[in-house]
Amino acid sequence: MTLRALPLEGEQRIVLAAQRGDEEAFRELYQAYREPIWILINALIGDSLQAQDVLQNVFFKAFRGLGGFRFRSGLLTWIYRIAHNECRNHLRKRSVPVIPLEAILGSRDEIDRARIPDPSEARKAALRDAVMQLPFKMREVIVLKYVEDLSYKEMSRILGCPPGTVASRLNRALAELESRLRPFRELL
Amino acid sequence: MKGRCLFLRRRFVPYLESGISPREAERLEEHLAGCRECGEFFTRLRAGHQAGRQFGRVGPEIGQPPPDFEELRADIGATLDRRGLPVRSGRNILHPLTTPLAVRALIALALALPVLLVLSNRMTLWRAGDRAAVSSNTRESRDFTSLRIKDFSSNTRSPVVTEGFVRDVYFDQEEKTLHIKLVDVRQKAEPFVICEILSPGGMAIPREGSHVRVYGMARYDSQPGRGWHEVNPVMNIDVLKH
Repeated sequence: MTLRALPLEGEQRIVLAAQRGDEEAFRELYQAYREPIWILINALIGDSLQAQDVLQNVFFKAFRGLGGFRFRSGLLTWIYRIAHNECRNHLRKRSVPVIPLEAILGSRDEIDRARIPDPSEARKAALRDAVMQLPFKMREVIVLKYVEDLSYKEMSRILGCPPGTVASRLNRALAELESRLRPFRELL
Repeated sequence: MKGRCLFLRRRFVPYLESGISPREAERLEEHLAGCRECGEFFTRLRAGHQAGRQFGRVGPEIGQPPPDFEELRADIGATLDRRGLPVRSGRNILHPLTTPLAVRALIALALALPVLLVLSNRMTLWRAGDRAAVSSNTRESRDFTSLRIKDFSSNTRSPVVTEGFVRDVYFDQEEKTLHIKLVDVRQKAEPFVICEILSPGGMAIPREGSHVRVYGMARYDSQPGRGWHEVNPVMNIDVLKH
């Protein structure tokens, strides 16, 4: 999935209007950016109801803090950073237990014996569950890279660490993902 | 694991995406042929990368679409109500400048400003050795490590202050930032550092050929097509000679 930000000149015009309190400008910004932020939050939180609360917090803080936005990055990158902080804080409070992949999908033998009506659905489930079970920092870098299609530089601005650290973190995440999916390789 | 292995492993994903130069790809392949550990890691990483790409196509599970703007606005109003915070009727609750917090912050800033001005008024001190204090005409009062451009590759400290000659000044259209290429010796293109100014409107920009002193954070840009040391962001520039 590749997500596009508003063209820069259009974004500047709308942000300046929103900074003056123009509600129509808020609406335009929300319409433009709610989808990529919603996808990110769902991928990190894993529950649509809780994701809705987090989305509300993200845009409330984004709109209230818009007066301090200085165009040093794109607005979407800036909102991603707020979403990253809100998701991290939310999960710290929630303290999610880790459920093994086998408990969700069954053991490899059980999958072999069970009738899987739609192998593509089983593949999707295996992939999604494997990613959702990664630790937060690993999951986030996978989502930002492969779902949001961001560069190392954009990710480093969102995560607040150098591009080299982003690269190392992505490597560890991919190696961990490979380990978790190895028993289900035939399925994938 | 050797430092070289660690550095090369960071290039594995860009390599898989054909995002490195042919020369770099050749060096990486030579290393993989000769380093068993990196070869095994690369095999795992390639499988993980393929899984990541599949996940990118599939996406996370999303139970419902996001709320529309009116629903969001109503939800925010209800949350403020529940928390006992005032929701001003007839005024935009999303307005960035009129929140009680913003007003309190402005009052606190107005009271603190004279105190900050007194505290920041101190003399310039340059000590021998590799630590230096910033002069009172710079924007922030903290210690900067004095660094020659040729020593950036072995530097581990930040923030830094360095001197050099402006070889090139250009505006990066993609990042909307101003870049200054600073060289150690006027007549030579290398060694150099790239100085990145995030807010060009707030700083005097030196001309090409100027001798300047630059203050900022030391970084390394390892992106494909770059691979250079930076002062990023630049906090201040002193023009020593035009």
